[in-house]
Amino acid sequence: MATSSLITDAPDNRPSNIEATATFAGEGRTAASRGLKMFMWILAAAGVLGLVGIAFRFIDDGGRQEWGYYAATLAFMLTMFGGAPMVAIAPTIAKANWARPAARIASLASIGTALTALLMIPLLFKLPALTEFSEVLGDDVRRRSVWFDSPNYAPHFWNILILLTLSLAGLALAYLMALPDLAAIRDHGNGWKQRWGERLARGFHGRPQQWTWLNMRIGVMGAFYFALLLYANFTFPIDLALSLVPGWKDAIFPFYNTLGSFQAGIAFTILGIWAARRWGGVARYVGHEQMWSLGKLLLATTLLWFYFFYSSFIVFWYGRSVPDLATIKLLVSGPYIYAFWGTFLLLFIAPWWVMIWNKVRDSVWGPPIAAVLVLTGLALDRIRIYVASWSAVPDNLELATTGVLEKMPETVWPDVFDIFIMIGLPASGLLGILLAVRLIPVISIWEIQQSRLISKPVRFLRGHALLVGKPD
Amino acid sequence: MAASNSVLGLYDSPDAGANAMDGLRSAGFALGTFDVLTGTPYPEGAFGEHVPQHRLFRFPFFGAMVGITLAILFTAGTQLAYPVITGGKPILAVFAMLIIAYELTMLGAVVATVVGIIFESRLPNLNLGAYDTRITEGYIGVVVECEDDRIEEARGVLQTAGALEIKTA
Repeated sequence: MATSSLITDAPDNRPSNIEATATFAGEGRTAASRGLKMFMWILAAAGVLGLVGIAFRFIDDGGRQEWGYYAATLAFMLTMFGGAPMVAIAPTIAKANWARPAARIASLASIGTALTALLMIPLLFKLPALTEFSEVLGDDVRRRSVWFDSPNYAPHFWNILILLTLSLAGLALAYLMALPDLAAIRDHGNGWKQRWGERLARGFHGRPQQWTWLNMRIGVMGAFYFALLLYANFTFPIDLALSLVPGWKDAIFPFYNTLGSFQAGIAFTILGIWAARRWGGVARYVGHEQMWSLGKLLLATTLLWFYFFYSSFIVFWYGRSVPDLATIKLLVSGPYIYAFWGTFLLLFIAPWWVMIWNKVRDSVWGPPIAAVLVLTGLALDRIRIYVASWSAVPDNLELATTGVLEKMPETVWPDVFDIFIMIGLPASGLLGILLAVRLIPVISIWEIQQSRLISKPVRFLRGHALLVGKPD
Repeated sequence: MAASNSVLGLYDSPDAGANAMDGLRSAGFALGTFDVLTGTPYPEGAFGEHVPQHRLFRFPFFGAMVGITLAILFTAGTQLAYPVITGGKPILAVFAMLIIAYELTMLGAVVATVVGIIFESRLPNLNLGAYDTRITEGYIGVVVECEDDRIEEARGVLQTAGALEIKTA
């Protein structure tokens, strides 16, 4: 019977702290490769196309139903970029050592959220006021919303405010998590990077109280970010989808969006670390362990997606009232049935089938495949929800106020400007993140260094393991 | 009065840094006048350093209080100023007010936390003191703030603990 530890020392081949600093902050840091520059130019060009799409959407404005793809694109960006920082927050709070190399990529997704907040402004001009029906039905008739008797443009004001607050919290979190690395760039970088490091990390010398404050602030800001993300996933989908459709009443819908945000955030982070490994020269710092851990979370959220979808769907299906049947038809079996089946396949069946296999989950190539499937499915899901909602413009206002969608809208297919918008806006978010990565290291140096201090490779009998200490 | 100086000893191992901290304490340097600089966080008290009281939660709490107060004044004030009864609901409908109260509470807390980060971290710090860029490579710095007449004593203690280099600023 084994009565004492079976752990023995093993050689430590991990990069040293000096090497990590040189690689990410010092002379080891190379200029952007030609391939990366080209990719960034492509993203920039796509971003310009996105702006062209917005401009033409305004010029060739045929009504609310033409803005559905724009709303769906913003919802996609909010879901994906907004959810990613949770991958940096939740494991950090739980002291998960594996998450350290993935935390930076996840936190920088806040740049995409900030862009989403700005891009929300044009959509506010198209979101109907609460008094949309008043002109025809009288001053006291307002469209359904969670804003009850608030001013006519309450959804507009509060939605932009929540997105800006979420962006502020996300950017503050990303800055805090990058502060020690900016100090390393100040100390070891050169040129414009060093100048920016000096500006942004001035006075950070790594005193114990600075570390204490930093760690606590990361925790506090992370908690705020989580609370705000829940709130954004409450107001945005309700105001920009649910309340636009007469008769659609669904208490689970905000949770469905929140869960989708976690799922997409994990998928985004998986793809980010895969790309950093493949093209960013960080294969020694990030890989197998992160993919495996994030892959398990992706599988869990994929299963939960079905749980939330079904919990919502069964109420409509069993209720069978006229508004319930209309809602099922609009979102599932009617004009967007192609998007529904695509969503069902790509957000649930395919990633579930890919990720149930240990060998696939436990690889560096398996989770990225599932992540691509999930993000594609998410795009279809946002189309299914938002394009359908923005196309449900009521003809009969009186019926609409009683919760009946009297006429099922036709399928709205994207035109060329919608395609510009759908490609260009997420590409702009990605470009913003890549530009930030030119200054801020894609892997968190200080977290890698701390990981080295509290862990060591060991042998467990003949197997390999990493022994991790977690001091308070 | 003698001018205050900053003396830094640089060490390649945490043990040597902790010994330097012990040495400074034994030599009679007051707590709070010497500190350790590291490129990565160590557990609190790992070097026997002075752990100052933080006021972290005051900022978000204060911001949240301001936010929720504004929200209540705003929503209650509006509803009292325009008392329209809708669907039999009371004039001050708490559930309708909660949405705005939550938003402004969070906004106040987040803004106050950001301000707190800048204020409590003393950023930007214009009086940087002695420093060495190797600290962000994993070296340990022990820095002492002292007056002219104790510089040599501080250097001696840091040297005895095995400093690779000593700098004065």
